[in-house]
Amino acid sequence: MTSYARPLLAAAVLTAVPPAAPAADKDEAAKFFEASVRPILVAQCVKCHGPEKQKGGLRLDSGEAALKGGDAGPAVVPGKPDASPLIHAVRYGDVQMPPAGKMSDAEIAALEKWVKDGAVWPGAKAGGMVPAGHAARKPGTITDEDRAWWAFRPVAPVAVPGTRHPARNAVDGFVFARLEKEGLSPAPEAGKLALLRRVTFDLTGLPPTPDEVAAFLADTSADAYEKLVDRLLASPRYAERQARFWLDLVRYAESDGYRADFPRPQAWRYRDYVVRSFAADKPFDRFVREQLAGDELYPADPDALIATGFLRLGIYEYNQRDVRGQWAAILNDLTDVTGDALLGLGVGCARCHDHKFDPLLQKDYFALQSFFAGIAMRDEPVFASPAAKAEYDSKLAAWEAKTAEVRAKIDALLEPIRKKEMAVAAGKFPADIQPIFAKAPADRTPGERQLYDLAYRQVEYEFDRAPAKLKGEQKAEYDRLKKELDAVAKPADPDAMVTRDLGPVAAETRMGGGRQKPVTVDPAFPTVLGGPLPTIKGGEQTTGRRAALAEWLTRPDHPLTARVLVNRVWQQHFGTGLVATPSDYGTLGEKPTHPELLDHLAAEFVRGGWKLKPLHRLIVTSATYRQSSAVPATSAAKNDPDARLLWRMTVRRLDAEQVRDALLATSGELKLDAGGPSVPAGEPRRSVFTKVIRNTPDPLLASFDAADGILGCAKRNVTVTPTQSLLLLNGGFGLARAKAFATRVMPADGKDAPEGVRKAFGLAFGRPPTAVEAEEALAFLKGQVKVASGNGPVTAAHRLGAWTDFCHALLNANEFLYVD
Amino acid sequence: MGDDFALPTRRDALIRGGGGFGSVVLSYLLGRDARAADPAPGKAPHHKPRAKSVIFLFMEGGPSHIDLFDPKPELTKLHGQKLPASFKPVILSMGENDAPLMASKRTFKQHGKGGLWISDWLPHTAGCADDLAVIRSCWADGINHSGGVCQMNTGSTLAGRPSLGSWVTYGLGTENKNLPAFVVMQDTPTQVVNGPRNWGAGFMPAVHQGTRLEAGPEPIPNLNPPAVVGADRQKAKLDYLAALNKRHAETRLDQTELDARIKSYELAFRMQAEAPDVVDLAKETAETKALYGADEKETETFGRQCLLARRLVERGVRFVQLYHGCGSKWDSHSNLEKNHTALCKAQDKPVAGLLRDLKRRGLLDDTLVIWGGEFGRTPHSEQGNGRDHNPYGFTMWMAGAGIRGGRTIGSTDAVGLHAVEDRLHVHDLHATILHLLGVDHMKLVYTHKGRPERPTLNEGEPAEKVLRG
Repeated sequence: MTSYARPLLAAAVLTAVPPAAPAADKDEAAKFFEASVRPILVAQCVKCHGPEKQKGGLRLDSGEAALKGGDAGPAVVPGKPDASPLIHAVRYGDVQMPPAGKMSDAEIAALEKWVKDGAVWPGAKAGGMVPAGHAARKPGTITDEDRAWWAFRPVAPVAVPGTRHPARNAVDGFVFARLEKEGLSPAPEAGKLALLRRVTFDLTGLPPTPDEVAAFLADTSADAYEKLVDRLLASPRYAERQARFWLDLVRYAESDGYRADFPRPQAWRYRDYVVRSFAADKPFDRFVREQLAGDELYPADPDALIATGFLRLGIYEYNQRDVRGQWAAILNDLTDVTGDALLGLGVGCARCHDHKFDPLLQKDYFALQSFFAGIAMRDEPVFASPAAKAEYDSKLAAWEAKTAEVRAKIDALLEPIRKKEMAVAAGKFPADIQPIFAKAPADRTPGERQLYDLAYRQVEYEFDRAPAKLKGEQKAEYDRLKKELDAVAKPADPDAMVTRDLGPVAAETRMGGGRQKPVTVDPAFPTVLGGPLPTIKGGEQTTGRRAALAEWLTRPDHPLTARVLVNRVWQQHFGTGLVATPSDYGTLGEKPTHPELLDHLAAEFVRGGWKLKPLHRLIVTSATYRQSSAVPATSAAKNDPDARLLWRMTVRRLDAEQVRDALLATSGELKLDAGGPSVPAGEPRRSVFTKVIRNTPDPLLASFDAADGILGCAKRNVTVTPTQSLLLLNGGFGLARAKAFATRVMPADGKDAPEGVRKAFGLAFGRPPTAVEAEEALAFLKGQVKVASGNGPVTAAHRLGAWTDFCHALLNANEFLYVD
Repeated sequence: MGDDFALPTRRDALIRGGGGFGSVVLSYLLGRDARAADPAPGKAPHHKPRAKSVIFLFMEGGPSHIDLFDPKPELTKLHGQKLPASFKPVILSMGENDAPLMASKRTFKQHGKGGLWISDWLPHTAGCADDLAVIRSCWADGINHSGGVCQMNTGSTLAGRPSLGSWVTYGLGTENKNLPAFVVMQDTPTQVVNGPRNWGAGFMPAVHQGTRLEAGPEPIPNLNPPAVVGADRQKAKLDYLAALNKRHAETRLDQTELDARIKSYELAFRMQAEAPDVVDLAKETAETKALYGADEKETETFGRQCLLARRLVERGVRFVQLYHGCGSKWDSHSNLEKNHTALCKAQDKPVAGLLRDLKRRGLLDDTLVIWGGEFGRTPHSEQGNGRDHNPYGFTMWMAGAGIRGGRTIGSTDAVGLHAVEDRLHVHDLHATILHLLGVDHMKLVYTHKGRPERPTLNEGEPAEKVLRG
């Protein structure tokens, strides 16, 4: 039995009362190394003794390398500082290192202590420090050291540390204790306005309205901020915002990708499902189980069926004759997205070979893939309730009755073409697919059925496009009939993109091919995580494989699922996660800056029923989150310019959807509503409800680094480009918002300009202008009117132009685009 | 470039972001540290480069190598017959699996001192034969346009990876701070297969993506303020915006991003001055325009774009990609003769003009010109008089960058179906291009999702025969 499978509580007890002293020492030594030794080596040594340069043949970027030493022999003799050339060198004996100047006494002492205590180098695989230093792994093996990697060990919460800084909750205990240790202090709390704007954008994706600003300022009660947070979390806007993070991860889009990039008119049902789930604060473990195996686990729940759309979001090529290749690509995509989004492990490397750096075997990749080997993708009607179904059925029956005649005529016209074209299409597949078409359906193996289904979509496509092949009089006749048909409103299509299994038997999963001899692989969990083989309970219609995967992933003692999720939420609020590589918890990723905090959050999250809202609440009500960003780096903090240790808040740019939504909100045009089919980006709805077409992304959203919907996106890039500036400054969308904004704030009588300026600042920045700013704004407005009117009389159009320019400048300002 | 292996911090991302559009501004802003990481406008190559710039002439849809550069007498003999069993069968995109073979109707002649075989469809290109290294043994993985175009741009048939131009921008930076380092042009407004993601930065920051350039007064989208705003109002507005941002920054110390954004507006403003000048062909002589066919109706569009390409590389733009036949126009499933006659004509003189003009200005020595599509076409007929997609063997050519011209490299089988000798996969092709630019395709690394990503997916190698010989 391996450690991860232990119940959480037992794991915690074991950590608190270690079974054997040496392990504790080793743990302690590892911590000391990470806190006090590795930073010295990185800062002072690795530049010349690392992956780029190996002066004297020496590398100090791995324990192995340090022990092996350079041309002059081992650099370190564990337990014997006086016998270790490294120590001699830093003491400035015969050899003097680093050459630029002697280290501080404290640094030298740290290195001495480290060597004296045995020169423990945790995860002593080569290259713990810089991936470039990694030695290739021995293929096919998983060692105890692999299993000891922090992310594969059980979540092990420890007591919240005390701190002399004023803490508001457990988060602060961990963060501030660490700051103290590093000689840093937290920044003071941000001002009320900055906090309001920050937390409103973070939780809802929108700026606070002037009314919300006034209400918050007026509320002087001690828990005014906590009440604000509760209000925001209860708002439907929270779920719309939270949904976007999930949609990024699961590569959500509403078109096929590839050449034709056909629309997926039903995809929005999955998006709305995600929004609904976050609004209800559905437990995350259930949310995951629904998406992986809703059909198997909750067959009576319509939402759980829609949730399986998760497995349908990949790209699809409508005319790919290499059916086998396309099916393999679809399964690879499912495997990769599951690894990325849920396990937080980039498993893709292991598709072609055992992972070079992480303990993932090629066998693990295909064992994971084989959980999906039973799937059948289909669009089917899903109704929220039996009543909804009954209503639809009766409407449909009425429509069918009314249109029976015209549909019969259309069918008569199209039938010969459909028949012919479908037969032709079926004949066009390569030699490996033809025999599958020739077989009786009952004789096809599960794998053949999957290939057949995929190929048959191309045959069906000919059915759908038969009208395009009509010519002359027949075409005219068809157009006339179609018009007649369309005149009778058809009830809205209830289909959702669903995934089920073909039946009780899955297709075979084969690994290898090419130069490797193919072998069959059964479902299993990654070797490094150990544990028993999956218990798979199939049914009459289903293999039960995905249910087994879902159950395993959402076990309370799973070392990854909760750790990965809480880190993603942390990242939402701080820009960077405690683990800076949110979908890579392997050895190429970064280790957590605050491992105990990560485990605390993960444990609390699971203990509290996997609910996101309390997690958000815990984070955003912490003193850590409430710090000001307007604090210059002290000399101590200069070593941490990105404030990874959280000695201040980081100023952050609005992301793509926040930019677009804030433009619309500020201009007063934003239409808030609840989901449904997506609309073009020109319409004033929230960005999460605009169409996501893979090959034609909205230019504004794309330029501000929106996810492309092709690969899962765990962390957006944050770029600063002239393209963005040009779009906001000269593009039609920004100008139109500025004009609407101007109309909203400019004084109706043209007189009370100061009031207009005050309103504009309030809407754009969430605060009134200072006296100087107000003066400047008025002078600018006056000047613009003059420029616009020249020497002629001033018209209403000139005034609108000037106000538009003023509002446009506010919408382009850093204060608008960044959150303190 | 070992440091590229390390995971970028946000600050790094900004600095690296500096490799592309607007790099100098950012590295300047970020102070001494940043300049150390990004020493000059351009970044240091891995080895001595043979080319500074690339012009990639992309014949979208797949030109027929069998009818242009790879004559097949054996195919003429087998005309009308089925593909003999001795040839390995292939998956045909359109599935006319039993269609008879079709001989080329073209006349081939040898050209130049090297005696390069070129068909009568490309008389002007043939005039430059001694500059061309014709690679007859290219092969790719995508049997359809989408995967094919995607792979020829990104190395993978599946979407999501950075375009070759993005890798080059990431690796080498830009030499002109006021222009994008990676520029794309289309001969018609019809969308290229896959759309802008062909020149997208994939998982890299957007600064590395290609910028679409169009002829006319607004070569870059949103470059100019709308006429209704006018220059005076715009100027005052920008001044007011600058004042707002200055005050905002005063109370927010050590926030490099805020400064970067201020500078990005200034850069946008400078681009307004420089970009229109680049596309202003009024400064070119009538003789030069005639050389490109920019003065003739049939060749005007592509001729102007080829001329623009020269003006761009002259100004230090790193990677220029011209799409010809946008929307798969070269895709001649039927009526190959009519299709290719017109398309060849539209680009033959412009391409030859480009080569000649680069050469006489001394620019060809450090400019690499590449010509080709996402695949070639089958020896099988389709619908009687067309040809299907052929990624199994097809032709591309390279010129410039010190490559010896007047020769062919590799070969296809007797009918032009499979590449057989000196096979050159797209990854090899990309590795070769990168090598010519001074970049080692295995050392150029961008870490994404924990994977050290390389431009050729860890495969391929520079084609020695192209580089030497």
